Amino acid sequence: MSEVLETPVQAKKEAQEFEPKIVAFLCKWCSSAGSDLAGVSRLQYPPNAVPIQVMCSGSVSPLYILSAFNKGADGVLVSGCHPGDCHYLKGNFFARRRIYLVQKLLKFIGLEPDRFRMSWVSAAEGTKYAQVVADFVKDIKALGPQRKLKARN
Amino acid sequence: MVAIEDIRSRAKELLEGGMVRAVLGFRRSSAGLLAEPTFVVASEDVASLVWDATCVHNLALYLVNEKKRQKAERTPDTRPLAIIAKGCDSRAINVLLQENHVAREEVVILGVSCEGGGVVDTRKLADALRGKEAASAVCDDTGKVKVATASGEVTFPAADVLADRCLECTIAYPSVSDTMFGEKVDERGFTARFAAVKSIAAMSEQERSAFWDGHFERCIRCYACRAVCPMCYCDECVVDSTSFIVSPMTTAEEKANRIRWIQRSTTPADNAMYHMVRAMHLAGRCIDCAECERVCPVNIPLRLLNTSLEQEALEMFEYTPGMDPAQPSLISSFRDDDPNDFIR
Repeated sequence: MSEVLETPVQAKKEAQEFEPKIVAFLCKWCSSAGSDLAGVSRLQYPPNAVPIQVMCSGSVSPLYILSAFNKGADGVLVSGCHPGDCHYLKGNFFARRRIYLVQKLLKFIGLEPDRFRMSWVSAAEGTKYAQVVADFVKDIKALGPQRKLKARN
Repeated sequence: MVAIEDIRSRAKELLEGGMVRAVLGFRRSSAGLLAEPTFVVASEDVASLVWDATCVHNLALYLVNEKKRQKAERTPDTRPLAIIAKGCDSRAINVLLQENHVAREEVVILGVSCEGGGVVDTRKLADALRGKEAASAVCDDTGKVKVATASGEVTFPAADVLADRCLECTIAYPSVSDTMFGEKVDERGFTARFAAVKSIAAMSEQERSAFWDGHFERCIRCYACRAVCPMCYCDECVVDSTSFIVSPMTTAEEKANRIRWIQRSTTPADNAMYHMVRAMHLAGRCIDCAECERVCPVNIPLRLLNTSLEQEALEMFEYTPGMDPAQPSLISSFRDDDPNDFIR
């Protein structure tokens, strides 16, 4: 009897394995198109990243990032154009400096630095986007759920 | 040691000549050790001005408040305001000038160098005095602080009673001033700069996380840190929205769907959010006056958050806030060789 019961319970346990929630802020001109390319190229990559299209990586306020963690994200990815390729000429340079500071601050208050990542993904780099997400998911799975900044309701 | 008579006579000159509408300085307070901020309007009152190690407040805050008050006045007095500024206060004024919040002709800065001293930390002093009440505290030129108590004078080494930021301060003289009192002292020889931040950064991740959890847990969200900060001059703050007007016509849906970036409840996560947002807003603007830490009723070491970013700004971007009103701000500028290797 017990053997019969064990199988569905085990199956349920496996289904409940931790799947990280990742919020990805993607620049409309590069990374968003890059993620699109990954899709139309039928690349297999984890479905954990929820894309949010923004006009420029430079428009991502630190508040968006903190808020994503606060609303329960296990990881946040900000992705924009390679330096020099910004549609608005210098938005990604501003983003680079700002995000560096956010990352240092998150590290300073003791959040695992692996939970927050920035990447440069151009519109032609579908494979790179898939790789970035796959790596990110793998690293966050190792860390487990994020509880430090998550609001408890 | 700066002689208070020099400051008083300059203040008197300014007031008698009608060149300023008031002199913003410190006077003895009716209770407690710390001097209190004062607006001296009449030239005969300049005798009330004091200058010693108890002048801890950052007077740049009153420059901001006065500006707000003046905006509401029907016939404002447009003469400039004279302000007595320590090194850190003058850097705060510089940031306000840089952000065009205050115009240079609106202030007459009486810069005072702290020379080899600084201001006291009341918590450290209370520990050092072990129950005795301090009546006055004065820094002398040899790195000692003389504290008068009811049972006679006690002398402490500066490191025991001066505020941490003063011990770590390397720019103890005004970076902007119309009249400067005292000498520029570069070698102060107390603690290394960023010593407090470095000791936290040296902890392991778990220790640091537990350290901040313990502190953020206590926060009661009184917003004293925000109220005392000369840089927190926004009309509307992200934590308490004032522009969402609730009228009888506001539907329940509108009320429910309004954006709440940070909840007002004092959960550790939301407290951490609030303090991190504040730290980010002060990146490249905080001039380390440590007023937020001083006014915190639950002793959260808020100065650490701001100085950690100040350290990053200095080490990675060679940026020191408040030194030059003409420099572009930290996060509205960039260099091609900014760090890039943290990006995938």
